[in-house]
Amino acid sequence: MRSPEDVSRAVEAHADMVRRICLVHLKNEYDTEDVFQNVFMKYMLYKESFESDEHEKAWFVRVTINACTDWLRSLSRRRWVPLESVLEEGSIPEDTSREVLEVVLQLPERYREVIYLFYYEGYSAVEIAGILGKKENTIYTWLSRARGILRQKLGGEWA
Amino acid sequence: MNRIRESMEGIRASRELKAGTLRYLERQRGRRRHTVWGRGAFYGLAAAICLLLVFKVGWHSLYGMPTSYISMDVNPSIELGVNRYGRVVAAEAYNEDGWDVLKHLSVKNKPYVQAVCSLLEDEAYRKYLANDATLVFTIISDSPDAITEELKSLDEGVPYRILTYTSDSHCMEEAHQYEMSFGKYRAYLELAEYDRSVTVEDCHGMSMGEIQDRIEGCRQHEETEHSGNHGGHHGGHHSE
Repeated sequence: MRSPEDVSRAVEAHADMVRRICLVHLKNEYDTEDVFQNVFMKYMLYKESFESDEHEKAWFVRVTINACTDWLRSLSRRRWVPLESVLEEGSIPEDTSREVLEVVLQLPERYREVIYLFYYEGYSAVEIAGILGKKENTIYTWLSRARGILRQKLGGEWA
Repeated sequence: MNRIRESMEGIRASRELKAGTLRYLERQRGRRRHTVWGRGAFYGLAAAICLLLVFKVGWHSLYGMPTSYISMDVNPSIELGVNRYGRVVAAEAYNEDGWDVLKHLSVKNKPYVQAVCSLLEDEAYRKYLANDATLVFTIISDSPDAITEELKSLDEGVPYRILTYTSDSHCMEEAHQYEMSFGKYRAYLELAEYDRSVTVEDCHGMSMGEIQDRIEGCRQHEETEHSGNHGGHHGGHHSE
């Protein structure tokens, strides 16, 4: 089991990213806290060491996505709330580009995933393929389709 | 900065969420330590119980399994099963006189010499040893010499005669088919070599002294007829 100091450091380093991935996936503020805690619980219990900070970050991305997917699969736990209420929960600052976020959150789950990892975290398609365990071509396809939807809804200057 | 990044830049984990998560993890850490310890204790206890059961079963099968048998025949016919540790783990009577003794005298778990002595000292048993009776020990064992020597040493200063023989498990199986101790059955087989007319049923009603006397009589008769050349014993050696 990892030390309290190590866990505290990891929370400071990755909390924002984990929180964003949770929101992108769950679109539900109520469940975010549970999944957020589960992710860091997994870290506390994870015995292997990481080769680098990037390796650790990629581990958090993968574990958070898997935790969100598992959470959504559990039908009994699903408490869907309208997207508007997510955006009005106060967790998103007023100066955030709400229009873009709203459109991103309306994308299908797999597209949201790759859009977030590509445009926010700055991962390449090859890296995303490695993190998600998908083929590189699949990632390109999802990115292309997601871009198409965003272009359609936000216009040519969306990115 | 691209618009997507800009749209998500403001999404951050609040100080409360981080602090709440750290508190939650510390609580879980404490519980897990407790659970791991509890689980360890549980598995340790379960393993100990399993070991104890295995040991008990193993010990019981080792302890409770006779490796040698002693048939004590006067008129009471009693068989003692002796385990590898020299203790009596089974006692069976093969006639009513034997049952009369065993129903009030427990010899189980005693060293076999002590068990035999307690039988010989028992009031109900002693009455069969009066009047120059013959006590016959018949031994079935992989190493019968030590048991024979021990039992022969009981001969000193007693008013009755002690004979010791050895036999085998085949003889015991046959004896039990006739509900007879293997000591008495061995004596019957010896007598039957001299006197073909004698039956198992005849021997059921005879004391060991009577059977031995008839064997002796037949032997002496044969020796007289064949100048000392007598027949062998069935199923074992005889020592007096």
